[in-house]
Amino acid sequence: MRVYIVSTLIGIFGINDRKKVVYFKSFGNDPKKSAEKFKLSQIDFVDEEKQSKIQLGKKGYREFIFGYRKPNEKNIENNNIGEKFVKDNLIKLAMEKGFAKTPNEVTQFITKVTIQLTKVHIKKSVTRDGLIIQVNGALEDLDKSINVYIERLREWYGLHFPEINRKISGHEKFIQIVSKYGKRENIKENDLQELINNSMGADLKDEDIEIMRVFATKIQEMINLRESLSKYSEKVLKEVAPNLLNIIGTTLATKIIAKSGGLKKMSRMPSSTIQLIGAEKALFRYLHGKGKSPRHGIIFSHPLIQNSKDENRGKMARLIASKISIASKIDYFSKEFKGNALKDEINRKAKIILSKK
Amino acid sequence: MKEIFPDVFIENNKIFTKNLTPGEKVYGEDLIIRDDIEYRNWNYTRSKLAAGLKNGLKEFPLKKGMKVLYLGVASGTSASHFSDIINKEGLLYGVDIAERVLRELIIHAEKRENIVPILADSRLPENYSSLVLEKVDLVFEDVASSDQIEIFIRNCDYYLKQNGYAIIAIKSQSIDVTKDPEIIYKESLKELKKHLTIIDKVKLDPYEKHHLLVVLQKK
Repeated sequence: MRVYIVSTLIGIFGINDRKKVVYFKSFGNDPKKSAEKFKLSQIDFVDEEKQSKIQLGKKGYREFIFGYRKPNEKNIENNNIGEKFVKDNLIKLAMEKGFAKTPNEVTQFITKVTIQLTKVHIKKSVTRDGLIIQVNGALEDLDKSINVYIERLREWYGLHFPEINRKISGHEKFIQIVSKYGKRENIKENDLQELINNSMGADLKDEDIEIMRVFATKIQEMINLRESLSKYSEKVLKEVAPNLLNIIGTTLATKIIAKSGGLKKMSRMPSSTIQLIGAEKALFRYLHGKGKSPRHGIIFSHPLIQNSKDENRGKMARLIASKISIASKIDYFSKEFKGNALKDEINRKAKIILSKK
Repeated sequence: MKEIFPDVFIENNKIFTKNLTPGEKVYGEDLIIRDDIEYRNWNYTRSKLAAGLKNGLKEFPLKKGMKVLYLGVASGTSASHFSDIINKEGLLYGVDIAERVLRELIIHAEKRENIVPILADSRLPENYSSLVLEKVDLVFEDVASSDQIEIFIRNCDYYLKQNGYAIIAIKSQSIDVTKDPEIIYKESLKELKKHLTIIDKVKLDPYEKHHLLVVLQKK
């Protein structure tokens, strides 16, 4: 005799060929436990299913058919008649089998179970490459902030020593000088001595200079933080996308994974999409009929593209995008390391492009 | 406060629903009290169905006690007003593919107790058949996807009761960004007519560019 074992959010049902309920075992009345058991039943046997086989076996049932994949079980039939019958009549059957007294009680309980189930799904949806997306955001935020604060400090310190802004154009050097020396008279850089002696900047009090030093120190900390984030990103990339890291480096790999929305999405993109990530404005302008089609998006920052002559950039962009596409697929699916082979391929083909007239 | 449809109110050109959880805001909307009843402002620049009402929608099938399937529920800005209208006796199954926004909905679902958040791809309605307990009275779709018409029809076939209602917000730019919206609307309506009866339609401009809201019935 045949019986369909159907797993639902409230428990396990046994339905025979004539659509009669011959078995029901509830998962209990803790929504969280019910959600866990239901989720488990999608890939493995739960206790209640094992018990059902024993109990029904005693009643003479020999053929057990399940709706979801189970280990070492051959009798799987998706969406079988037992499943359909239970799904169409769940509220009624729940009341018949004494699980609840009114339809409202059933619905309320199942709502709670579904919420728990969705919470589990959401928990499981956080993947390691999702962290890279956040790090990329943090880096972009930091870069904006650091720039704004440095501009502010230049204006501020410029009241005391305006000549430094023209002479020291590098931001990191400027921050170092201010936080290390403070007052312009204390600066021990040889090439600044003449400017210091003839400066038109004001002579400020110690406390005025001191607070600027504190500000400069904080900016330096942010610059160091940026460095830490970049190192962390490289570490995670080595685990999560080593092939991609190998062929395009930390900065570009972080950016492109973030802009694609993750490795899973990236692995499914055609390389032509990858080629243009970041050039959406130009792309849609072209699709609407104005302007030329863009040839590269953020991958432009790759040295092979950036340093090529204009006429070769399109070919380089296409080449690199196609290898990025392959790398992301290997990183997402097989997880082997073929980074060096891919890199060699890029270099070999790039040489051919550059050698043609 | 004037009632324009059952449980939908208007005052000073703003649309309101009665707050199912008084004192609670969902998305920073205004709360006002009239005759000891708290109402929530239904923002028509953020919710497509409210934009439809503002633009003169005549058929409004959403009612108290209904079971609703909402495809593209996101963080629940619109769904919260659906929840107000269908009240305790109703139930809203909210499907969305993005965990980040569904996470927000869960908080409101736990408070209101008539929302069921489902993390799933609405392209495969079979995948959530264990979580939707019955055929629904209304299917609402607001997903930005090129196959949104097919998704809508598939879900109506699977989950909508006979004589049930269906509402879709057609986003022409999602279907084809290069075509004229009017052509997209025409082609979409032609496809929809094969499966459902059109009973009202209204454009959502200027609140949503290039969107058409269509109300249908499964006859």
